[in-house]
Amino acid sequence: MTVHSRPPAAAANPARKRSRHVALVLAGTAMLTLAACEDDRVDAQAFPDLESCLAAAKGSGLFFTETDCRTQFAAAQEEHLETAPRYASKELCEQEHGAGACGDDPAAQQSQGGGFSFMPLFMGYMMGSMLSRGGGVFSQPMIRTPNGYSTPNGNQSFASNRGSARVPTSTFARAPSTIGKAPMSATQVSQRGGFGASATSRATGGAARSVGG
Amino acid sequence: MQKITVAERPGWRDRAAELGFTFADMGGEPYWDETSAYRFTLRQIEDDIEDPATELHEMCRQAVAHAVTSEEWMTRLEIPRPYWDFVERSWAHGEPELYGRFDLAYDGNGPAKLLEYNADTPTSLYESASFQWLWFEESRDAGTLGPNTDQFNTIHEALAERWAEIAPQGEDIHFAADRDNPEDFATVEALAWAAREAGLGAHFTALADIGLSEDGQFADDKDRVIGTLFKLYPWEDMLRDDFAAHLQPSQTRFIEPPWKAVLSNKGILPLLWQMFPDHPNLLPAFFAADIEAARRGERNDFTDAIARAEPQLSRGHVAKPVFSREGAGVVITEAGREVERAPDDSYSHHPRVVQALAPLPDFDGFHPVLGAWIVGLRCAGLGVREDRARITHNLSRFKPHFIEG
Repeated sequence: MTVHSRPPAAAANPARKRSRHVALVLAGTAMLTLAACEDDRVDAQAFPDLESCLAAAKGSGLFFTETDCRTQFAAAQEEHLETAPRYASKELCEQEHGAGACGDDPAAQQSQGGGFSFMPLFMGYMMGSMLSRGGGVFSQPMIRTPNGYSTPNGNQSFASNRGSARVPTSTFARAPSTIGKAPMSATQVSQRGGFGASATSRATGGAARSVGG
Repeated sequence: MQKITVAERPGWRDRAAELGFTFADMGGEPYWDETSAYRFTLRQIEDDIEDPATELHEMCRQAVAHAVTSEEWMTRLEIPRPYWDFVERSWAHGEPELYGRFDLAYDGNGPAKLLEYNADTPTSLYESASFQWLWFEESRDAGTLGPNTDQFNTIHEALAERWAEIAPQGEDIHFAADRDNPEDFATVEALAWAAREAGLGAHFTALADIGLSEDGQFADDKDRVIGTLFKLYPWEDMLRDDFAAHLQPSQTRFIEPPWKAVLSNKGILPLLWQMFPDHPNLLPAFFAADIEAARRGERNDFTDAIARAEPQLSRGHVAKPVFSREGAGVVITEAGREVERAPDDSYSHHPRVVQALAPLPDFDGFHPVLGAWIVGLRCAGLGVREDRARITHNLSRFKPHFIEG
């Protein structure tokens, strides 16, 4: 070896052809679910009207104040108008929501056309504490179902429109108001199973077949 | 390119099980096989695999640009007419691709030859990007491989970078695959980890659980709207499923994008040969129907090219259905005699493409096929599969590789 010998340029400054790190663990399907939407329950309280909320807010150790009662009552009323389901007739509406639970759609009377002008009545509101999720107090309007009450998205139903409980956060997911909902928002699925028939393959039988190449 | 016997890592099977790599053995045979490894020189990797694969992908993009505006090619590629616009729009809007894998025949000398492009649903990603990488790092640490060795494998990092390029931070991506197929799921999971590394949300939904909402949007198994859907499920099947008519109106962003229907189709091989005749990395390829017409003496756009390729085709050719996965429906003919036929004929009712035979090299009785991974627009790594049979299939062994010299 002479003093002039030096490592080849590539060894001095290797042009590395491989990753510095990779993801090694295959955790299975469970890891790829959205943790935030599973078994994530929050404190919630339902009131048939603003007055009962204000009365309850005088107590201590609650997640809401009188101000929350007022703001959320107004928000729930507005949300009810925007997201409550609409029906072409009072009969259809009552089939879904029970006798005496439906009324005229005030929005339909202002606009022209559109045959869907009956909607379930506003039956109070449910407030939830999202403090553990970095949020404040949220609310959803309540409407009747044949056997009880629900929020307009219909994710959960409740026996009563008053009282407190721990409920899934999905209860507070806003129901759709227009077509084209945001990704990850809750929706109403009308059909399933429309993918996966593997029409180009004639293979039959139950064994799982890789589609990969 | 050599096949080198190397010492297996002690206890690697336990390590594989611990990592969740549950299909390291399949059907009573090893699937991951590290009793030997393929060695390449850096020049072979860069000049013969990496750069040509990147160029092939660019050529494929040009072929897509041609095909999506050609009624003739959309027909030849068996893309259902109601969805031509859907496919063409996705290309015109520049919807970005994520990944793909070229299967190449290569023996260390001369140009690698493109056998086919798994541009839509390539699997064996975890094995290539992660387990192979672990094998390399541990074998080098153990002294089994020398200090001046490397591996062509930037797949994972390239995927994380690509995800960050093509999706805004915080975007939620749904990953759909067949829940009951661990091989498929491992590929999806490898992609999902890369997406999470890129700051995206990754959620799994079984393909069969995808629903259609009253608003015409797709929803996952928990009724949440799907904004972006990665589907490990072929476009040619998506376009024939019950939900096909809802694909475009749903406004979902699909990965791979719909224009990959043009590439994940053996019909791309004749198109590439027509657009880039005599390209060193391509083999002459034609639709079987055009060859038959030429033999009947009918003239068409391919007659002259077929005549020029005829001597090569009669030495040996491979017939494959335009749609097929894992080698299904492949038949090899040499000197007029059928020498090998894939046992799986579940795709054999589709039109066939005939490609000149590039014989796979023989290393100790096994025939390797090189999988050159494309991430985004560039070649990012290599995975080698080998089999005793000349038609590689889903149980063919995965072999690690390294670079030395």
